[in-house]
Amino acid sequence: MLEIFDYEFMQRAFVVGIALSILSALLGSFIVLKRYSMLPDTLSHIALLGVGIGLVTGTSPLYIPILVAVVSAMAIEYLRFKKQLYSDAVLSIFLSGALAIAVILINLSNGFNASLFSYLFGSITAVSEEEVYMSVAFTFLCVILILGSYRKLLFTTLDEQSAQASGIKVFWFNLMLVTLSAVAIALSIRIVGILLIGALMVLPISTALLYKVNFAKTLLLTLLISILSVISGLFLSFYLGFPTGAIIVLVALVIFVTTLAGTLI
Amino acid sequence: MSIIRVRDLEYRTKEQLILGGIGFDIQKGDYVALIGPNGGGKTTLVKVLLGLIEPTGGSVELFGDPYRSTRHYKKIGYVPQNVTLLDQNFPLSVYETVSLGLAAQKPWFSFLGKNDQDKIERALESASIAHLREKNLSELSGGQRQRVMIARALVSDPEILILDEPSTGVDIISQHKFYQFLKSLNTNKNITIIFITHDMGVIADDVNRVLAVNQELLYSGSARDMLCCEAVSQLYGTKSHIVSHHHHHHDCSGSAC
Ligand SMILES: Nc1ncnc2c1ncn2[C@@H]1O[C@H](COP(=O)(O)OP(=O)(O)OP(=O)(O)O)[C@@H](O)[C@H]1O
Ligand SMILES: [Mg+2]
Repeated sequence: MLEIFDYEFMQRAFVVGIALSILSALLGSFIVLKRYSMLPDTLSHIALLGVGIGLVTGTSPLYIPILVAVVSAMAIEYLRFKKQLYSDAVLSIFLSGALAIAVILINLSNGFNASLFSYLFGSITAVSEEEVYMSVAFTFLCVILILGSYRKLLFTTLDEQSAQASGIKVFWFNLMLVTLSAVAIALSIRIVGILLIGALMVLPISTALLYKVNFAKTLLLTLLISILSVISGLFLSFYLGFPTGAIIVLVALVIFVTTLAGTLI
Repeated sequence: MSIIRVRDLEYRTKEQLILGGIGFDIQKGDYVALIGPNGGGKTTLVKVLLGLIEPTGGSVELFGDPYRSTRHYKKIGYVPQNVTLLDQNFPLSVYETVSLGLAAQKPWFSFLGKNDQDKIERALESASIAHLREKNLSELSGGQRQRVMIARALVSDPEILILDEPSTGVDIISQHKFYQFLKSLNTNKNITIIFITHDMGVIADDVNRVLAVNQELLYSGSARDMLCCEAVSQLYGTKSHIVSHHHHHHDCSGSAC
């Protein structure tokens, strides 16, 4: 038995890590194919705003970010649906706005310290038992919702107009996708960190796309790459002592670059 | 029986009137060309028929039912404008793309059964793309991709097929084959077809109905009579631009509009 699993916090980190890798692979695939790659970054900064609120008011640093991210995600999707503004401009406005308020709040709470650093880049020691249950339960919910509506979601992602003309309620599927992403991102900030969760959602699917296979295979590849990145990232983080999120993203990036090099040769 | 019945249809945005006073009937088995200048409101009219946008006035009946009370999604297949511009890198096989046409009718948590697979096979066959089934969309030509989208629209066995400028980006020879293919769907499967086009030459021969739209309905009737219609002639410049393949002699006295 590896000594790494003697530590209870590492067992927790592995359970949460694998759950999050499944979440980010499933949600990230649809989000990237929607040309919505900015969304995870925006939502993670909004989650940081939630952390700031939590620090200032002394309330839960887990539930407040989830709540803030979900509400903002719905607002973003509504604005996009109304088509008054370019969707990347909407995302950019939310990102900078949330970051500005978050920085002020965290400053107010004198929180510019080690705990902030762990929110930015992730920390395996930070995972609580509550987060383990939350993450596993939410991953199950997500897998069920996404697999249950797989084709409808895919059609909506490919072509909203045709999907709607065939009778699919595209607004609700878009809303489902961004809401689930908001929760997933708020849950992952402890382990992967705010600055890196976007990369974890975008890199595995981008790697899988290089193989130019059909959607089912692309999704499976994305899952494999994501899980592999998180597991090896956790090992490396434990033995080398680097911030978890940074190492996980680095592994995902190495897989991406290697694959890219392979396709270019 | 008219399967589409439009009366006094109006669609306006805050700023402008886009469609007004539109009324027409379409019968089962019709092969209809919808023409008009850029910005004339053709796409808007089609979107109203599909229920994608709500008209601001008038009524639309589909299959004899008032439009809002019963939606007939399954009975209408739709191929949008510019399908050839769809994301080139989207990782979808031809088979997967066609299967999306069944998505709306499948309940949550259901997989494709034998029956569904048969439907997909038939749609692939009727669009003559069965040999491409394992290819990714990115590996197809514009014309082939067009057929994939039609197969996707056909998979739910629609009674009406609506296509928005299906021949854009397809070369002349493929265009000709393409319209033959559409016509054969119309004749052999008795599917009512409505397509938007700018290509007057193609439509003159085969279609049995022409609707010309430029904010209002300029013309509704046979292709032959349209050649004599003043409003349409003005729209497209001189009459000599409209040439039928068979070079019939048209006697315009007393007909038109
Ligand atoms: N989303 C929209 N909001 C406001 N106006 C619109 C919108 N879409 C189209 N229009 C306006 O409606 C009118 C009709 O547009 P529509 O796309 O229906 O024309 P069309 O006949 O399909 O043209 P084309 O041949 O170029 O495809 C145009 O004047 C256009 O400016
Ligand atoms: Mg148009």
